[in-house]
Formats: sequence, C-alpha cells, structure tokens
Amino acid sequence: MTEKAGHLSGGFRPVRLVNMSVTTVIFETLWNEYIFWSLVVGAIAFGWLYHHSFWYLSKSGEVGSTENIDDLQVGVFPRHNDNIKLEVAWTLLPFILIIYLTYISWAPLDAMWTSPIDGNHGGECEEGESSNNRILEGSRGIIRSDCYHIIEITAQQWFWSFDCLDLSTEICDTDIESMEVYGSVPELFLKRGETYLANMTSLDVTHAPWFQHLGTKEDTVPGQNTQLWLPITLDMTEESMILCAEYCGDAHSVMAGKLSVHD
Amino acid sequence: MNTKLSRGLIATLLIISAMLVIPSTTSQPAGIEGIGSGGCNCHGPSPDSRVSVVLDGVPESYNYSETYNLTVSFSGGPTSPENMNQGGFHLYTSHGELGVVDGTAQVWNSNELSHTEAGNDQTSWDVTWKAPQTDSNVEFVLHVNSVNGNADGVAGGTSGDYWNRLSIQISGPIEVLEQADPFVVLTVLILVSAILLALTLTYVFYSRDPESFDWEKFGPWISDWLTTTDHKKIGTLYFVAGLFFLGVGGIMALLIRIQLSVPGNDFLTQEQYNQFFTLHGTTMIFLAAMPMINGFANWMVPLQIGAPDLALPRINAMSFWLQPFAAILIFTGVFSGAGADTGWTGYAPYVVSEGAHAGTTMWAAGQILLVASSTLTGVNFLTTIAVMRAEGMGWMQMPLFTWSIMIANVMLFLSIPAFGIGLIQVFLDRVIGTAFYDIAAGGDPLLWSHLFWYFGHPEVYVVIVPSFGIISEVIATSARRSIFGYRSMVYALAGIGVVAFIVYGHHMFTSGMSPSLRFITMLTTMLVAVPTGIKIFNWLMTMNGGSLVYRTHTLWALGFLVTFTLGGFSGMFFPSIAMDTHLHESYFVVAHFHYVLVGGTVFGFFAGIYYWWPKATGKMLSERLGALHFLTAFISYNALFWPMHRLGVWGMTRRHHTYFVTTEEALGSLPMEAAGWNMFISVSAFIFFFSNFIMVGNMIISSIRGVDAPADPWGSWSFEWMTTSPPPTPSFGHFDGEKWHDLPKLKDANDHIANEPGVIARWFERLMVPNDELGGHSE
Repeated sequence: MTEKAGHLSGGFRPVRLVNMSVTTVIFETLWNEYIFWSLVVGAIAFGWLYHHSFWYLSKSGEVGSTENIDDLQVGVFPRHNDNIKLEVAWTLLPFILIIYLTYISWAPLDAMWTSPIDGNHGGECEEGESSNNRILEGSRGIIRSDCYHIIEITAQQWFWSFDCLDLSTEICDTDIESMEVYGSVPELFLKRGETYLANMTSLDVTHAPWFQHLGTKEDTVPGQNTQLWLPITLDMTEESMILCAEYCGDAHSVMAGKLSVHD
Repeated sequence: MNTKLSRGLIATLLIISAMLVIPSTTSQPAGIEGIGSGGCNCHGPSPDSRVSVVLDGVPESYNYSETYNLTVSFSGGPTSPENMNQGGFHLYTSHGELGVVDGTAQVWNSNELSHTEAGNDQTSWDVTWKAPQTDSNVEFVLHVNSVNGNADGVAGGTSGDYWNRLSIQISGPIEVLEQADPFVVLTVLILVSAILLALTLTYVFYSRDPESFDWEKFGPWISDWLTTTDHKKIGTLYFVAGLFFLGVGGIMALLIRIQLSVPGNDFLTQEQYNQFFTLHGTTMIFLAAMPMINGFANWMVPLQIGAPDLALPRINAMSFWLQPFAAILIFTGVFSGAGADTGWTGYAPYVVSEGAHAGTTMWAAGQILLVASSTLTGVNFLTTIAVMRAEGMGWMQMPLFTWSIMIANVMLFLSIPAFGIGLIQVFLDRVIGTAFYDIAAGGDPLLWSHLFWYFGHPEVYVVIVPSFGIISEVIATSARRSIFGYRSMVYALAGIGVVAFIVYGHHMFTSGMSPSLRFITMLTTMLVAVPTGIKIFNWLMTMNGGSLVYRTHTLWALGFLVTFTLGGFSGMFFPSIAMDTHLHESYFVVAHFHYVLVGGTVFGFFAGIYYWWPKATGKMLSERLGALHFLTAFISYNALFWPMHRLGVWGMTRRHHTYFVTTEEALGSLPMEAAGWNMFISVSAFIFFFSNFIMVGNMIISSIRGVDAPADPWGSWSFEWMTTSPPPTPSFGHFDGEKWHDLPKLKDANDHIANEPGVIARWFERLMVPNDELGGHSE
C-alpha cells in the first residue's frame, strides 16, 4: 500500500498515533481526538476497577457474615447505598464530554454532507474551470473547493457503471481494467485537486460504493437518487479500491471498482 | 396404561425424529451437489468398458488463469468411420471456464460443454479450458457415447449404442487438501451436536434419578417435560435450546473463520458464505440470546418477586414451543442448500428479489413465529411483574434483575410489532406477489430499513439489558454490599429503554435517509453513553468499601466491565459522521457489536449461569474449572475480536466472502499485514469456541457428582435464596383452591414504609380528582 506523504502544505498536521495509511485527514483528526478521550475515560474506569478488585478483597475469602458490609439478609431489601452528589457527577460529566464530542464532530458532519448549492464546494464548475480544492488550515481536515464536477454512478448486480457525462477526459475518464485478483473491473480516473459530486442510483437492489481511501460511502437505492462527494485532494493515493458495502447478493464481495487519480 | 402411553409416545418421537433426519441426509447429494455428476445423456443403461475415453491436454497441476487446449476422444464400441453418426460427448469441470475452438462443440455454461450436431460424426473434439484464478482441486467429468449410427438414431433412438465415463482430478500450483462440502460439514456437526446433547441430557438425568428411567416411569417423565407449565422446567428447556443454538451459531462462525483465515480462500463459495453469515446472525440473536434471556427470566423472575409461578403458565409453555418449530423453519433452507442469504437485517428489495434464495421465505416465516413467541412472553412477564410481586415489594424494591427483564420486555413489546409487520410484508411479497417492496410498483426499500431498525435497535438493547441486571446482582453480592445507587440504576435502565427508540437511525447513516433525521439520531446516539456510563460507574462504586469474594461469577462480572466498556468506547465512534462514513459496514462494526454482544451479553450470561446454577440444580459447580473457563475464554475472546477494529479501519468489509491484500504485483483492498491478523483471529476463534466446553464439562460433572448446594450459597438478599435449592413446585406458598397461602413478605432495611408514595407520586396525587368514596379526600 502506497504510503500517503505530505498531507498538508504547512499548518495543522494531525499526530499519527497509529499507522493508518488508508484514511483521510478528517477521519484521522477525529479518530485521534476520540482515542484520546477513550484513553482518559478508560484510564479512570480501568484504574478504578484494577484498584478496587485488589484493595477491597475479602479477608477470609468466604461469604461469612462478619464481612457482610451492608448486612444483606434474605428477604430484606438492603439499606440504600448511594450518594446523590457522585451520581449526579457521573451523569453530568459524561454528558459534558459527549456535548464536546458532538461539537467537534459537527463541522466534519457538515463537510461530509454539505449542500450542492453554495456549500463547502460552491456550485457546479463551468467548462475549463478547476475545483482547486484544499484543506482549510486548522480545520480538522475540512475540504473546500471553488466548484465541483458532476458524475454519475449506477449500480447493478454486480458491477458499477461510472459515467463522466460531458466532462473532459483530463478531468474524468472511465475504462475497464483487468485486475490480478478481482478480474475485470470498471476503473474511474479522476484528477487531483478536483472535487466531484456523484449522482447515484441503482437498477436492482441496494448497493453502496465504498471509496476506501476517501473514507466515504453512501447507499445507491433503486428508485431513488442519492449523492456522494468525492473530493480528490492533492495527497490522494494513486490507486485505491471501490468496494460494495451494502449486501447485494451472491457476488457482493467481488463487486469492485478501481479509482485511479492523476495530477 | 402408563406403559402403553410411554411406549406410544416414544414410538411417535422416534418416527418424528426419523422423518426429520432421513430427508435431510438423503437429500444432500441431489440438493447440494447439483450438476456435478449430471449432464449425461447416456445411450444405454450402464457404462460399458469396451468404450475407452481419453481427455488429453489436462495438466497435472495448472497455472492461474492459463488457457489449455484439451482434446476429447474415444475409441471402441460400435462406432466406425462409415457410420452416419459416430459419437458425442459431454464435459463438465468444477472450476475454470470451458470454451470451444470450432463448430463441433458448444458451450452450455462456463462449466459444461458438449458436441454440436455438426460434431456428431467424429470421435475426437478440440476444446479449451481456462484455469481458475485461485487454488482449487478441479474435477473433470467426461461422458461419451459410442454411436452405431443405425436408422433409429435419426429419430433420437439409442439402440446398440455404448457409453462410458471418465473423471480426472487435478490441482493448482499449491495443492489443496481434499475438502468436504461445508453444508455437509454443518449438517453433520448439527446432527452430531444434537445427538450428543440428547445423550448427555439423558445420562445426566439418569444419573441424578435412575428410578425415573424405569420403563414404567420414563414415558410419564418425558411427557412431563414436554407438557410442563412450571416456570422452572420451561426455563430449563429454554436454556437447553439456547445453549444448543449458541453451539450451532458458533460452528457457523468457525466455518466463516476458516474461510477468512487466508486471503482469496475458497473453502466456502460466495453463496454458501452468504447463507452462513445470515444464519449465524439470526441464530445467535433469535435462537441463542433470546431463549437464554427467557431461560433466566423464567427461572428467576417468579423466584425473585416471591410468586408461585408466572401469571400465564400455559401461554408461557406456548411461547417456548413456538421456538423449536421456528428454528426448524429458519434452517429448512440450509438443508436443501438454498438457505436465506440476506443477512440478519434482510434488506429490501434484495430480500424480495428473485436473486434471494428460496430459503428466505421459510426464514421469514420462522421469524414471524418468533415474533408471536416474543409478544406472548412480553404479555406474560409484564403481567407477572405488575401484579404478582410479594407483599412489601414496591416497584422500587424489585431486584435489579427483575427490573431489567421488565424494561427489556417493555422495549420488546413496543418494538417487535414493527418487525412482525415488515416480515409479513416480505412473506406476502415472496409468496403471493404483493408489491410492498416492488420498486417498479412504487415500493420503498427504506420502509423495510425503518421497520427493521425501529425493532432492531431496541432488540440489541433487549439482549444486553438482562445482562446489566445479572451483573448488578453478581457484583453487589460478591462485594457483600447493596448495589450503589439502586434508584439511579433503575432510572438508567429506564433511560436506556427510552433512548433505544430514538437512536435507530444511526444504522442508516449512509442509507439515503433524510439528512435532518440522520442529524437528530446522531445527537440521540451520543446520549446512549450517559445512562450506560451511570451504570458502569455505579458498578465500580459498589465495590468501594466492600469485601470482595472472588467466585467464578465475580470473575465474569469484572470481565464484563472491561469488555463492555471497550465496546462502549468503539460505539462512540459511529455517531461522529465523518468517521462513520468510513467505518460503516466495515469490520470495525463487527468488532464493536461482538464486544457488546459477546463481551456484554454472553459474559453476563456466563456470570448468571455460574451464579444461579446452584440454586437451579441444587449442586455446586467447580470453582477451579470455572476459573480455567474464564481465563481461557476471556483471553481468546479478546484475541479474537480486538484485531477486527484495525482490520475495519484498514478497509475490510463486512459480509464479503473473501478479501485480497495488496502485494507488489497486485492491488487489493487491504495491506499485507491483514492476512496475518486474519489467521490469528481464526486461531483465536477456535480456542474461544472450545474453551466454552469447559463450562459444559463443569455442568455435567456438577450434575452427576457435585456437592449439594445450600439455600443461599453466596449470601444475597432476594427471595430466590430463601427457598430450597432446587426450589419446590410451586415455588412459593400453597394453593387451597381459592387463595394462595404462605407467600413470602419483603422486609425493608430502610426507614420508609414499602409502597409509600415518593415525591413525584405525591405531587401527582395533588392533581387527582378526590375520591368520593373516601369522603372527598385523596387516599
């Protein structure tokens, strides 16, 4: 797998806690933040569990009545053991944490599902116009473009059809590629720095293209149109797979496509 | 009379089991193997050795995707160059693609070809064969007819003709060991497990009470089990069924893991793999987890609230007996080789499309029975808990396990009708051609997703919440303390029950559902962390200042805290959309829900089994074997599911029958290391599966020669520990024809009076219209 190098031109660059060569900046920044808070909460919970498991050990190791702390007796509802302050504390603190996590997830959400009308990617490109997309500095990997190109994806058991509509072959092209392991698959050629909006539908059952190195997918639903943003940033890996992520029958696992990007 | 009855009963049972077994075993070759040995339009009743058949050009071992030129020829028999017709052939290959070079042969499909009419006057034909891309053992089957070309041949007659058959096996560059059909493996394993289970149970019951196996008494003994309405016996039946299907689901998981252990494997075909994961999910949720919950609930709820039995014992028996028949329906398709292949979610429109296997219809029918069963169970438990609690036991004095069963049944009762409706729509679409999910007729595929997940999300909470109840009981008892924050525990349970209904949209983040609805469910999904967080911290705080006595159930409860918390963390990644669009339908999801459903639900069940086994059977389990079970299972479990998180982030997709890694030569969807991790996971899966047999062995040993259990071995407080181990029937009190007597009464160690209205109840009372019968005063 080709290692992605030099994500960003200066400015914000996420720390890589783990080597995940396949993910996007927007994914990695959120991932790192979530892993950090998981470690914090985990350290508290597991430290607490570890301590109490050994510290409050029964002296005799038996269930004898001398160590029956709350005097449990059969047929008697035991005396209450509570502390309203503590209980309120661990209702409110997690609540504040999830409000924070929701807050940091909000802008990325807006970026993934931005509107095609004056959203993060502007409006549709005129002929010859370039999207010129770039990651906003200090923005958790949010991508903005001047404009976008429209392509079409049609799913069918068990292959993808990519349609560049009237885009020039420099911006978008398609082909059939014979791959070592997947056999013959459709290939989509896109250009780095350009942003694409895929209008998608399906001819038979529900499918979902997973553009693996773009970290994005959306179902293609028969009888309905769905949309998916494909922002090809400058650091996008040259070759990556498009797999079907919504179970669609016998050959679901080999319903593949290939995404090739060029400068 | 009894002898006659028992003989009749046993004869009936034998006939029924024979009817069940015989068709499924004899139908295997035809039902599953398909065209492998067919295709012979043989001239004559039996092969004739005078015809010698040759297939030239077949390599000893093939190279991937290389095309070979084969020559089919024969000699001998009545054929001769003077004849008008000399012969014909049919060639079948199990793998690769057959092709023709001239007009003398024709292709039926990639696996089969035969001569054309133009090729009828030859004894030799040239064809091509393209080798498969992967390693397989390839079989060629060639049939030839040696034709005498006499007059009746023109009319299609075959008199005087001979035929013969040749079969050749070759292998790829890497030799693949001879393998059995996975369906045959599965069927054999299920039948062997069922027989072993029956033998073990019979032996255990025999050794506990040899008297009842006297011929005079065996019939009544078995008919008592089949017709019982006693909540304890039905609970045991649920348990036996649940554990059996846990094993069956586990066997399917192992076959799936064999398939996934190396990239590009072909142990299972796509069609088989799709059926295995569908049935693995359906079996584990509906035939293993739900019956085990009902087993615990049946056994313990009446005992915990001091009731003699459930409110509706016969409805209870019916709830149980719907399940075996539902299970048979769900598995019907498998035994014919065309089981449901839709995933346990059964997404429309695939589920009603022609591509979905025939078994899908029976799979839907079986689940409709399960919906009926669960609804009846819900009515029963809600009624029992509402009206049959012992004197002195207000709502807020109920043991937490009973609370958890009540919340679970409220959720189930409110959500399962949606699933039932969806299943009936699917069933009607498939059977009588209605058009609920027919896209051409305007059907909406998202309707199914909504109906399914409106049920499906509460359902996964239904299976985890009873484990919360068990863990609450076990941790408090083991720490010799009352549970910390009993009231906040109850409110947190109720909170989970409410939140369950408003979060289901997170299963549909990438489904094309309205973005505003997605946004709302993202917010509510985040909220789930609050009540579960309260519960985890309350459990931890319960140990504070306690006197922890380590028993096997304590180990499982502490193990549960670890794995369930880890599962909770990974759950928090999904409502963050920019991560979800990558992680959705990946192995990260598989890792997450196995962490909460195995590390949460199943570990909770194990804690419950070790905790209540002495009460239910009157025998103690071995602590030494219990600790060994915990250690092996806990370690192999984490080794099994933890690496799946990473595989998901790398891009391994759920429900794919195989995967490919990227090498220097070829682009796959995963990095190289993924292959090693998958093998590691498969090995861990086997260890985890077999480690659980330590518990089964423990149960058998305990039943046969365990130490007698006292009434309250762990020193807990609730009513089940008041009665003997095992409890009598009825479980509490006695009935004199009009009223129950001697039912237990709950005392309360706290100052307030039981059933005294609390703050909210008093506030509500002030709003009530005064009751005239009480002289205008509220009560």
